[in-house]
Amino acid sequence: MAEKVLLVDDEKEFVEGLAERMELRGMNVTACTNPQEALDKVDAEGFDAIVLDLQMPGIDGIEALKHIKEARPEMQVILLSGHATVEKGIEAMKLGAMDFVEKPADINVLTDKIKKAQAKKMILVEEKTEEKVKDILSHKGW
Amino acid sequence: MGATALQKDRDGLCFFGQISAAISHDLKNILAIINEDAGLLQDFSLLAAQGMELDPQRLIKLAEKVQGQVKRGDGIIKNMNRFAHSVDLPVCDVDFRELTELVISLLTRMASRKCVTVTLKEGEKVHGKGDPFTIQMLMAKGFEYAMDSAGRDGELGIEVSSADGVNAVTISGLGETLPEEQLAELDSIAVKAGSESAYVLQDNILILKF
Repeated sequence: MAEKVLLVDDEKEFVEGLAERMELRGMNVTACTNPQEALDKVDAEGFDAIVLDLQMPGIDGIEALKHIKEARPEMQVILLSGHATVEKGIEAMKLGAMDFVEKPADINVLTDKIKKAQAKKMILVEEKTEEKVKDILSHKGW
Repeated sequence: MGATALQKDRDGLCFFGQISAAISHDLKNILAIINEDAGLLQDFSLLAAQGMELDPQRLIKLAEKVQGQVKRGDGIIKNMNRFAHSVDLPVCDVDFRELTELVISLLTRMASRKCVTVTLKEGEKVHGKGDPFTIQMLMAKGFEYAMDSAGRDGELGIEVSSADGVNAVTISGLGETLPEEQLAELDSIAVKAGSESAYVLQDNILILKF
């Protein structure tokens, strides 16, 4: 199944280039250069992986990550950064980011991480569904 | 070396670091774009080897994108070089308009992050003497605090002028009142730069006099 990816970065040309390469690799990509628009998309749709720039206009990547993990905890976030500091990386991982990639990104490494994100998300969704079923069964008393 | 001199060195170093970090971030972004464009060329070549027809227009557009990014990178590195050389002489002839232009360029990323538009008003060259590095430090701090005051979607206008032997950089379009500690910090840098700062609350302007 094609991985559904949301790619968020304020550098338009970067987003266009990377999105096209990801699509050539069979992914279903939604590209976004406006962080607020991206958060609205997260609230409205489901994604297997969100590739998110750490530094964008108006909203900090860490703030965006917090919002995503609160609203859709099953969604896997891979942070992208032009100047990753160890502190930021640790903070992001503590907040639930799945991984951290430094620009310029290696497409093979990124693809591999996106595949892992999809697998991780599927496990989380299955666990959640199982819990729901168990809950229904115990309440209905069948 | 006394504590004050050490602090002055540290403040200067912090400013140099802040600007260097912003430049490295921009250069990384440029490399990332070029990396994706090169990757696309590689992908297209692989697909062409498998029989896919190559669209020459697509290749021309990709080449133009790379050239555009090289031009952007060259501009950033030129600014970086001018900034780096501003520590060469403690006092020299300076063009305040040119320095203002440079500082605005160096703070482009900050302005974009804070969602503030900064516009330099047209005008003549304004010559004077001073320590270019400390002057840039004062301007950068003044612009940064003015951006915070203007807030999201704010618009700052910057004017460089000279009248009665006083050179001035006037920042208009401020919003929220500048806090006392920010004004004190500006005053402290202004002393080091041999200048003074003035905040006119009712007009929402900040003036740096040299």
